[in-house]
Amino acid sequence: MKKNDTSQTSRREFLKVSALASGALVVGVSFTGCANPQAKLMESVAEERGAFAPNAYLTIEPNGEIIYTLDKAEMGQGVMTSHAMMVAEELEVDLERLTVLHAGADPRFGAMQVTGGSNSVRTSFIPLRTAAATAREMLVAAAAARWGVAASSCTVENGVVLHPTGKKATYAELAMDAARQPIPKEPRLKKPSEFKIIGKPKGRVDATQKSTGTAVFGMDVEIPGMLRAWILHPPSPGGRAVSIDAEEARAMAGVVDIFVFERGVAVVAEKTWQARRAAGVVEIEWEAGKLAGFDSEALRLAMEARSFEPGSAVRVEGDVSAALAREDVTVIEATYEAPFLAHATMEPQNCVAWYKGDEIELWAPTQSSTIIQSVAQQLTKLPKERVIVHTTLMGGGFGRRASHDFPAEAVMISMKLKKPVQIIWSREEDMRTDYFRPQALAHFEAAIDEDGKVAGVSAHVITQSIIGQSDWFGTVFPHWIPDVTRTMLSRTALGLFNTGTVTDPTSTEGLSEMPYAFETTRVEYSQLNVPVPVGFWRSVGHSFNGFFAEGFVDELANAAEKDPFEFRKELLGSTHPRELAVLEEAARRANWGTPTPEGVGRGIAVHHSFASYCAQVVDVRIVDGKIEVERVVCAFDCGMVINPDIVKAQMEGAINFGLSAALLQEITFVDGLPQQSNFDDFPLLRMNEAPEIEVYIIESSAAPTGAGEPGLPPVAPALANAIHDAVGVRLRRMPMQAALTEALADRGGAQ
Amino acid sequence: MKINVNGEEREVDVPEDVPVLWVLRDELGLKGTKFSCGKALCGACTVHVDGKARRSCVLPAGAVAGKRIDTIEGLADGDRLHVVQRAWIEHNVAQCGYCQSGQIMSAVALLEATPDPTDDQIDSAMSANLCRCGTYPRIRAAIKRAAALMAAEGDK
Repeated sequence: MKKNDTSQTSRREFLKVSALASGALVVGVSFTGCANPQAKLMESVAEERGAFAPNAYLTIEPNGEIIYTLDKAEMGQGVMTSHAMMVAEELEVDLERLTVLHAGADPRFGAMQVTGGSNSVRTSFIPLRTAAATAREMLVAAAAARWGVAASSCTVENGVVLHPTGKKATYAELAMDAARQPIPKEPRLKKPSEFKIIGKPKGRVDATQKSTGTAVFGMDVEIPGMLRAWILHPPSPGGRAVSIDAEEARAMAGVVDIFVFERGVAVVAEKTWQARRAAGVVEIEWEAGKLAGFDSEALRLAMEARSFEPGSAVRVEGDVSAALAREDVTVIEATYEAPFLAHATMEPQNCVAWYKGDEIELWAPTQSSTIIQSVAQQLTKLPKERVIVHTTLMGGGFGRRASHDFPAEAVMISMKLKKPVQIIWSREEDMRTDYFRPQALAHFEAAIDEDGKVAGVSAHVITQSIIGQSDWFGTVFPHWIPDVTRTMLSRTALGLFNTGTVTDPTSTEGLSEMPYAFETTRVEYSQLNVPVPVGFWRSVGHSFNGFFAEGFVDELANAAEKDPFEFRKELLGSTHPRELAVLEEAARRANWGTPTPEGVGRGIAVHHSFASYCAQVVDVRIVDGKIEVERVVCAFDCGMVINPDIVKAQMEGAINFGLSAALLQEITFVDGLPQQSNFDDFPLLRMNEAPEIEVYIIESSAAPTGAGEPGLPPVAPALANAIHDAVGVRLRRMPMQAALTEALADRGGAQ
Repeated sequence: MKINVNGEEREVDVPEDVPVLWVLRDELGLKGTKFSCGKALCGACTVHVDGKARRSCVLPAGAVAGKRIDTIEGLADGDRLHVVQRAWIEHNVAQCGYCQSGQIMSAVALLEATPDPTDDQIDSAMSANLCRCGTYPRIRAAIKRAAALMAAEGDK
């Protein structure tokens, strides 16, 4: 890779490319035909500077540089590499030949340029390859025309078109002519058997910049004359600053301005340290807002009470009530719980905005470039084409950077000061001013007959909806966004999740589609309207429903006196072959069924999410009451794999991310105030606590599916099941270290 | 005040209590060292002070006067990356990458003191460097790889 620079220095290059390629191109590849504006645009680019820009993704410069414009955002998941691999494959060049740039908000890539939902590879696999194949065919056609030979008699090797007669020409040499070739209607995509790059464990294209300190994250953007704004938010989400005393702070070195605004208080200075220092002496009177009096513990009780009332049914198969009332069954009941969680990206929220009166430019570490473009447009009243959004690298996303509150702050402050401003949040601000993973609770009842058959399972999940809650757009799209925009954005967002009902699928996902052939099944959902801002958190509803479902299924196996693996296998039957395959692979690789070492408990879980399948086996040891996860064996099926090493890394990452939550993390509220604020009270798993991880990828020719999130849901239930195996304690509440400590104390007290 | 960063004498005009992190980032434009927790809880801001790994977010500038600070920017020898950086690239350690400057600085300090560390020694040197992406297995593997490269090359 020559460079994958998303920094300020590459901005000019980027703008040059986008300016030249701007216009009316439709996304991707549906741009055939003589009326196609891309054809005209392509011609003008060629005439101006001899470059070949067949579509929004690709430009081949006369100097041989091949620029690939990535319409997704790199936040660690490896999209920069996996997408570049798809392009290099079909363009027939080495991966190292590509220069990868982030697109920013660009209408040519569609109105909803959002990176999330483990969607990037599955939605791009065909369009992106087609875009690259289009370019390749036009370059080959140009060579064939130049030599007076048939295109079919030419071959390509790493960006050089070859003919058996010995003629050859590089892509750079062919760029001008290629731009005059007709755009092929149906470019030929390679067969998987022809792949040279896809499916190989290529190194990440951003590995060098991220190992040398040269990668430019949002926090590292530097614009000449840029001011820094340290933002102080209401300690209780939704509150507001009533008054400030900033006399002392205003007199401090470098301080430019201190003011109350819609989101809190901005302390603006020339340098970050000056702003941070001055922020420490500003006295603020806060008004609590609608979270006043809110306790997460009270919410737990409310959820539990609600679980005994009927909810809205999202799945009904057979008569569960009749099954539960049968005389020949044993009924087991359980309540599972999961807390609010913060995203805690290593890079706190930040953004640069530069309002110039007739234009605004943003440099944002964002998963949602077009959404923040809309928000900036609403705030500035500028036409969309005057709102320029540059996407930077992100120090973690996990759903947090799909929200647009932090870019909105940068816009507001730059509008006020009419200067480039970087807003920065402290860790404490970041943790307390989050869109939290919702708290959730599920109540289960099941009937098991004398033969150990499951006559019925009833599940009722109670949580706060991310999408469907009445005031979601009062949080994610705060009050300064006009109602009409909220409604519009709300419909778009709902459309994204493919729902025609009022039920929020993110609340029930992972529970409503339990794959087991119980004789009867009922899944219900109740939504509690709570004024805590909630948002998408790696694997969203699956992050708690996976724990609930697979923990309870283990309880069923115990009640039926069957081996948890065999029990699942039987109930998956032949109707869920992909779940079954990962389950069997994980069990086989973990030597399921053989005795574990003394003191080691072993648990298993399987979960389907983001169109992929994942099973994990956890080995755990309880040492003086402390949960020590020794090993996680993971089997994963995400269809055809672009880069097995990145998929493996995503499994490792999701497992450690999931274990942090399963073992250690919770955000609690007392009187509306989040009680945690930094890594001392919201711990992340550490090196010495991280298990050995083995990842086995199922070979598949199925269409590629998600990889960033599906590795997370199985780890918590597999851990709970392993802990039960180790010490006979069934944990039904995360975080489990606290739950185990409590359970062991209770057991000790009872003895 | 004068401080030595990556072998160069630099003059900076800041109060003595300003954390070294912000001197590097704001005053010297060295942005490879990252801000994350601000309280020495995560290690993203790790630099070396006289060869020892220190958390620059809580380290006052006044405390490093006359001492040598090394940052991620100073690790490579011209175009030749430090052996730890090479091992990091080879193992594709970084995901989001934000914590990795700090991870690498901690790993370099570990290997300078303990060229062939055991798992326990890796744990004790690295456990205060947090990674939200969960790259720990690769960090461990890369440290072992760097140790092996160092032994083979007699270099670092």
